[in-house]
Amino acid sequence: MKPTPIYLDHAATTPVREEVFEAMKPFFGPRFGNPSSTHRWGREARAALDEARERVARCLGARADEVCFTSGGTESDNLAILGVWREARESGRNAVVATPIEHKAILGAVHEAKAEGAEERMVDVDKAGTVIRDSWNTQVRDDVAIASVMWVNNEIGTIQAVPDLAADAKSRGVVFHTDAVQAFGKVKIDAASQSFDLLSISGHKIGAPKGIGALFIRRGTKLQPLMHGGMQDRGRRPGTENVAYTVALATAAELTLAESEKECERLRVMRDRLEAAILASIPDAVVHGRGAERAPHVLNISVPGTDSESLLMVLDLQGIAASGGSACQSGSISPSHVLSAIGVSPDIASAAVRMSLGALTTNEGIDRVAVAFPALVTKARQFAAAS
Amino acid sequence: MRERVLVAMSGGVDSSVAAALLVQQGYDVVGATMKLFCHGTDVPDRPCCSLDSVNDARRVCEHLGIPHYVINLETRFGEDVIDDFVSEYARGRTPIPCVRCNTFTKFRDFVIKADSIDAKWIATGHYARVVDGELLRGRDDNKDQTYFLWGIDRSILSRMLLPVGESTKAETREIARQLGLSVVAEKPESQEICFVPDGDYMKILRGRLESNSPALSRGPILTIDGRHVADHEGFAGYTIGQRRGLPGGFPVPMYVVGIVPEDRAVIIGEREHLLGSGVIAREVNWLSEVPAVGSHVQVRIRHRAPLADGELIRIDADEIEIALDVPVSAITPGQSLVVYSGETVLGGGFIEGSPDVAAHTPARARLPILAA
Repeated sequence: MKPTPIYLDHAATTPVREEVFEAMKPFFGPRFGNPSSTHRWGREARAALDEARERVARCLGARADEVCFTSGGTESDNLAILGVWREARESGRNAVVATPIEHKAILGAVHEAKAEGAEERMVDVDKAGTVIRDSWNTQVRDDVAIASVMWVNNEIGTIQAVPDLAADAKSRGVVFHTDAVQAFGKVKIDAASQSFDLLSISGHKIGAPKGIGALFIRRGTKLQPLMHGGMQDRGRRPGTENVAYTVALATAAELTLAESEKECERLRVMRDRLEAAILASIPDAVVHGRGAERAPHVLNISVPGTDSESLLMVLDLQGIAASGGSACQSGSISPSHVLSAIGVSPDIASAAVRMSLGALTTNEGIDRVAVAFPALVTKARQFAAAS
Repeated sequence: MRERVLVAMSGGVDSSVAAALLVQQGYDVVGATMKLFCHGTDVPDRPCCSLDSVNDARRVCEHLGIPHYVINLETRFGEDVIDDFVSEYARGRTPIPCVRCNTFTKFRDFVIKADSIDAKWIATGHYARVVDGELLRGRDDNKDQTYFLWGIDRSILSRMLLPVGESTKAETREIARQLGLSVVAEKPESQEICFVPDGDYMKILRGRLESNSPALSRGPILTIDGRHVADHEGFAGYTIGQRRGLPGGFPVPMYVVGIVPEDRAVIIGEREHLLGSGVIAREVNWLSEVPAVGSHVQVRIRHRAPLADGELIRIDADEIEIALDVPVSAITPGQSLVVYSGETVLGGGFIEGSPDVAAHTPARARLPILAA
């Protein structure tokens, strides 16, 4: 009999929580209305949408009108970068600041802004992926439309000092955005006491379905919509709202926060145990992001002399799901831009395996991986040496 | 414990059916598509190795309920196959990249992947058969692909499964229909070289050679008696036996009979000047015990050309010479010489040329076969 599969890819996506699934159901049934309609069906949907917006706002320490529902992290990031820059360029702020270890959704949006005439500025990061403050200080000036720094890196888990950076940006009059897709539930997020202007979250990383996210937009932050049409969400995001999914996001966000402290500790203990076990049997393994403050659910590790493509195949064939760097669209794996940016050599970068823990992770699973991973790696190294 | 097989899946009908048959036969089948090159966004729809093909292979694996992976071999394929393809044209030869892909990519690099996942077997959709450790021609004479397979390491034969080698192409398509592999059953045959978009190999050469490279520069078109009759815009655009693009005004049809890269010359002659009564091949690889000098063999000098009878008259290290019973036309340097005994592939090599074709070369020029 095959052993139970072990899912160690929660940074890629998470299973929909049972409570979330239940909460959505009425909206696939009797509460099917369009929230923009004036009749009873419309009102019933509108009530759920309004409530969902308030619930998400509460989870972020925000006001309801500061929450804009989107299709997910990518749309939130694009709306933040392009929306703000397109608005600000008219007032002479033409530069866009980001770090080289941002998610592709940010980098892609920044490149698009550049293609439309923006000045692109990348802030240097150190070997653990932390923003270098000197570089930040020289890049973030009064000609910057928006600066964006990812709160928790999706590949290596590095946590940035986002509250500090946001405050610093504010003191320079620069709009600050953070991609908090991996950070939600892992670090304290509070729009009331922290001064970020925009913040992206995504539903499917926290137990809601794929296809829903939100962008926090602080009152007074001017941005242009990406799409044009009706006046939904004050015209910031036209299109009939996906009511069921907004309810899902609200429910998932609340559940995530309620369990956050305990769950983070649980994941941290397991992650550290797995990391220690692997390092004990493979002393030359490289743990990326080590030395920085790291989110508790990510372990990104390279074993010299292996390649992640083969390792991921053998892991998968043994029922262990992990991931490499960013996957390219064909499904093949190219070395991660994040690892390159923190100065990891191509050889080591192409060996990177990211294991990310979450709801499905158990002690038994971690114990099994702690044995299986070093065994597979040892074998892979023998093949690599022979070929 | 079921034996594991790693199947190289291009997204075409042959490798899809190969995978399906292996599933039926009870193997633990793992599908993989090799990503060998990238045209970026230049070529939206390539019939082989493109994103679409990866998607098709994945759809077939989903249908069969087996895992599918993409294996990136771009770097090594670039070095082993594409770079060689370019340098062969630069040397005035007509390369056959599928041989090197089989030798170095499919049946070497891909085998290493198979090893890494504990796959005892590797499978492809080639029309060829392996029986008792020997490589045999596929049952479908029209589709036989042994012309491209002679270069693989002999030790790999015992691990190869070639399930469609027993079928004709029509039968393969029928199996695909029966198995509901609608994604691939009616796919058109790809005849082109996978990394050459639209068959325009000159575009690849222009992208990879210096613009003033001799192979892409103007040079003389000479008759075999040395008469300069016209100019060409790069000898890389010519291959032995070609008629297209040659100057007219001759009483009989003229053909390219030689390319002399040192002089940038393309030599033209009449049909009889294409005939060679012997073949010299190098980089010879044997898939059987080395046959004795004097053995009577059958050879093939071009894909789908009829088999020719001959005698193995010389073996020097990795070079062999075959004396043909009846002269054959257009023995082309860079193509394969494959040596058969009946259905069995004994081995093969890359054609250097024909000893007597050199006799047609003008005095001032030397054929590459003698220059190499």
